[in-house]
This record gives sequence, C-alpha cells and structure tokens, in this order.
Amino acid sequence: MKKILVANRGEIALRIMRTIRKMGLRSVAVFSQADRDSLHVRFADESVCIGPAPSSQSYLNGEQIIKVCKGLGADAIHPGYGFLSENAVFAQQVEDAGITFIGPGSEAMRIMGSKLAAKKSVKKYDIPMVPGIDHAVTDVVHAKQIADEIGYPILIKASAGGGGKGMRVVHHPDAMLEQMERAIGEATSSFADGSVFIEKYISSPRHVEVQIIADKHGNVIHAFERECSVQRRHQKVVEESPSSIITPELRKRMGDAAVLVAKSCNYSSLGTVEFLMDEKLNFYFLEMNTRLQVEHPVTEMITGLDLVEIQIRIAMGEPLILKQEDLSMNGHAIELRVYAEDPLNNFLPSIGVLTRYEKPEGEGIRVDDGYEQNMSIPIYYDPMIAKLVVHGTTRAEAIRRMILAVRSYKIDGVKTTLPFGTFVFEHEAFVSGNFDTHFVPKYYLPEKILEKQKANAEVAALLALKIWKKNSQLLKVVAHQSTNWKRRLSN
Amino acid sequence: MNEKDKHYLVKVNAHLFDFSNEDIDSADVIQTGPDDFNIIHGYRSINARLLESDAGNKRVKIEIDGEFYQIEIRDALEQMLDKMGFNNVTAKQVKEIKAPMPGLVVEISVHEGQEVVEGERLLILEAMKMENSIILHAPATIKKILVKKGQPVDKNQVLIELE
Repeated sequence: MKKILVANRGEIALRIMRTIRKMGLRSVAVFSQADRDSLHVRFADESVCIGPAPSSQSYLNGEQIIKVCKGLGADAIHPGYGFLSENAVFAQQVEDAGITFIGPGSEAMRIMGSKLAAKKSVKKYDIPMVPGIDHAVTDVVHAKQIADEIGYPILIKASAGGGGKGMRVVHHPDAMLEQMERAIGEATSSFADGSVFIEKYISSPRHVEVQIIADKHGNVIHAFERECSVQRRHQKVVEESPSSIITPELRKRMGDAAVLVAKSCNYSSLGTVEFLMDEKLNFYFLEMNTRLQVEHPVTEMITGLDLVEIQIRIAMGEPLILKQEDLSMNGHAIELRVYAEDPLNNFLPSIGVLTRYEKPEGEGIRVDDGYEQNMSIPIYYDPMIAKLVVHGTTRAEAIRRMILAVRSYKIDGVKTTLPFGTFVFEHEAFVSGNFDTHFVPKYYLPEKILEKQKANAEVAALLALKIWKKNSQLLKVVAHQSTNWKRRLSN
Repeated sequence: MNEKDKHYLVKVNAHLFDFSNEDIDSADVIQTGPDDFNIIHGYRSINARLLESDAGNKRVKIEIDGEFYQIEIRDALEQMLDKMGFNNVTAKQVKEIKAPMPGLVVEISVHEGQEVVEGERLLILEAMKMENSIILHAPATIKKILVKKGQPVDKNQVLIELE
C-alpha cells in the first residue's frame, strides 16, 4: 500500500492524512466545490474536486470517488466517520473495484448496520441485551401484547433508524396502539422500511462504549471504554476515558462482551461497541459502530496508541502485534466537541466567518480541527469546528486543564459550545461523576452562562467608557462634529 | 446637568448598562500594556484586552476570558434622539424578508399575492442539516418571491418582498 484516498473532509480528513504522511505513504484528498480552501485539500499530496457543495453530489458520491481512486492509482480508501463510512454497499463496490476499504468487510458492516441483524448475530453469545424482541413487528395488536409482557415504559425503535431518529417512548399501555401506528408510519416515510422493534426503555441510562481493535487473523482486543453520556439532541458533546464509575472488574466484563460482539460478525478493523448502563451498573449491548469514532482521541491519549495507524496496518493485512495485556490506561482524557452552535439559543447552528481563531496550546492539550482564522463555516456539512482534548494524570487534573484550555480557545464570528463546556466541567454532577444521558435536560441552565457573561460585559462596558472618554478628550472637537454631520445627513 | 451626574447608556452584546460619570471615574483600571488593562471590580481582578476602538462611532471591542464583547456607547444627546424616534429604524414596516443566515431554501410555503398573517411560515431554510422556519411577525401581502426551492442563499439576501 502506497497511496490512500481519504473520502472525507474537515478535521477527520486532516487527522487521517497526518498519520498517512507519518507512515511514509501518500494521500489523496477529495473535496466539494465549497471546500477548495479547506485545510485537508492543502495538506494532501494530491487533491481532486468531486462535485458541487451538497454532500449528496460530492462526499456521498461513491462512484465518483472510486473513479478518482482508480485514476490516481490509490490502493485504499479511508472513509473517516459519517458520509460513506458505514455504507456497506459502498464498501462492497470498493472491494469489487480491487481497492482496499479501510474498515471492516462489507458483510460485517451489513450485519451491524441493521439493529435486528446485529441482535441476531450476537444472540449466540452470552451478551447482555435490553429486554425486548429480536424480530421486527408491524402488527400493532401483537406489539401491544409484547409490550405488556416486557413492562412499561417501553421504547419503539425503527430498525433502520439511528442518531435518535425513529424512536418513541410509550409510558402507558393505553397509548401503545396509537404510538405504534405512528412509529410504523414514520419509519416507512423516513427510512422506506416500516419494521420496528420493541424493548424496555431504560429511563436514565449512561452511554458507555468500548473501543475494539480486530485484525484479519482473528485477533481481537479492546482499548477500554469511553464515557459519552453528556449529549444534546441525542448527540455527544463531551466524552472521556476512563469512565469515572467503572471498576476494573466491570471493565473486564464489558471489554470481554465487546470482543465477543466483534467476533460474532467476524469483525476486522477498528470498531466501537456501544452499551447502555442503568443506575445499578447493569450494561446492555446497544449497537456497534463499524468505523473510526469521532471521539477516538480520548482513547489515544490514555493508551498512547495511534488508532488510525493501527487501522491502516490491519487493512494492509498485518497481524496485531499488541496483546490485550500490553495495553494499559495512563491518566485521564476528556474531549469537548466545539460546534458552531449557540448554547444560549437551543444549540441552533451559528454560522459565519471565524473572524478570530486562536487554539489553546500546552502540555496535555490536543486540538483536532480543520479551520484557520478568516475561514467560514460552510452551511452544507456538520457544524463541528474542532475537538478539544486534554489529558491529566487524574480526572480532576484533566478537568482543571480543560477549563483553562477552553478559556484560552478564542473564537469570534460565530457562537460555539465552548461556554457550554465550561458549564459542564464546572458542574457538580460532572465533577462528581454522577450523571447520565439526561445531563442537559436535568442540569443545563443557559442563564448561568448568561449571568457570567453579563458580569464580564459590565466590566467591559466600564472599561470601554473609560477608554473612550480618555480618547475623546484628545479628539473632542473632531469627534463631535463628525457624528453631528453624519446624523444631519442621514435624517 | 451636573457633569458628575451625566449618564451613559452602554450596549454590550445583548446587555444594556447605565453608568454615571462618577461610576466611570471611580472604576479601578490600570493599563498594563499597549492594549491590555487590569480592572478591579467588586474585588474581582479582571484582565482585559482592547481589540478595536472607534471613537467617532463610539464602538469598542474588548476581550475578557477568551470571550468577545462588542460595546456601543450612547451619551445623553443620543439617548434623547432615540426617545424622540429619530434613530428609530425598527419601527418602519418590514418590506423585505432577508435570510438570517446562509442556507438552502427547502420549502416555500406561500405564493405571490397571498395575504399572510402574523406567525405564519413563509419558507424553510436549511442550514447545517437543520431546518429553520422563517416566520412573519406582522400581517402583510406577498409581493414577490425572489428565490426558488432548492436554491442556496447568502446571509441578508432578500428572499421575499412584502407590501
């Protein structure tokens, strides 16, 4: 393998290309017309424009990407995360074209891509699952019988759904029939697949996932867990490793279960097995993500591994040299996803130009990003600006380091999740480790951020007046005349 | 008016403050570098940096703790003009609907000549995988629709003309 095409954009394309370069290989970037200025396009050895801005016509255009790959003689495609990374059809097309897909085989992707097939696949192993059914239902009366047996509250999930879409919670038997009909209707219109399944709803779960590393020779190990419970809109914002509540004994049990999940579908490459955890620390298999995960840097920081390098070597067919006992956890790592969103206005996208952009630097700080000052955030893609990751010898040290790093991350021109991060890292529930996926609805108070900003705004106002008065005394006559003239002209 | 009692209204981002000359004179500020200042306010010691200063337009930009504060100063004369309505542009009836952000028009919910009431949706603008409804805030008639479904638009681009 000599040349790898990275079928992605932004921070992850750049992060993958850095490892490609480090390994002495060549990289090919693909980009849409909206991304000509992007850093991944400048960093790559070769760059090819593959279409207009909308991702359906560029980053999701698998045929075009394979064509570019063949044209430039690239040996492999790294799909990153999102876009085509979990598309089994694309992986198959890549394999058929004689190109290496840096990820699991298309068969494993197909199994883990369908929640029902995934459940069926892991059934032969003793892996804890949320109580529920392992076959799709479309009959509402039958569904109600099942729900009554499991006990309420229950969750109806579209088989083809994901990212919080196509889910419905039913608290009372009376509402079951109506909710079931709606769920099937929604699944049919959104995913063209009306099959749903039913499981017990765990009301306040934690989200804990295990990083899997599997080669093509049957060796499977895990690189410990990541705690991803702090979410907004069912999407992660803060991740850490290790989880503050997991004991070594529990870690081993979860790790072993995750390894079995990977083995159940003959998995090779990096993968992530997601678990839900209830307040009694019971864990249940949720799903497997068959790609490099956004939050992989926290695992890299505590293990010292370069997961992308390992992923590429596995794709080349190299057997894993690492054994489970070679891996150990060093300290604690936390990641904050810096999104161009307004935390004071429901996390709505805040787009514009990064008129000021200065990253924090220092010991134990890592920033994975794809932006520079004066770049604008395109409307077509995910609004993530960067991942801010810190490492400390203890969790407490990592939190302190994170608070300081956020403070020296200077972004102007758009609103970001940075102040939200400070709120989380200073919050008693996060500091104590006693939180779940309901952190945001339970604890988040935008007013707290506003109060703090107001206190600083007052100081800024006083300082501004002081400076302005001093300056205007020097320029008194001129300044007054100019404003009066302007006013007269405009009226 | 006594010079000491003269007041200034200061707008900082979304906050509004009212300070007297006395407040300003008693503020404990020292200059620590060409653009750097230290302020002690309510025993809090705060370091701030001056980023922009436009004396004529009374606009100042200041950074504290990695966050940015855009400041507009209004003295007594301007406050009076504001009260009398000379500076009031917001009272004018809206004649155009502009895009609040760059995005993609995914749906146009009205047609030309249609009478629409307050709160009615005019169109849906998609930005970063999220749909944003553009809502009318006062009754009006749709004069002209200047965009098409599927069209990308820039911030402040006129989408719809009203009458």
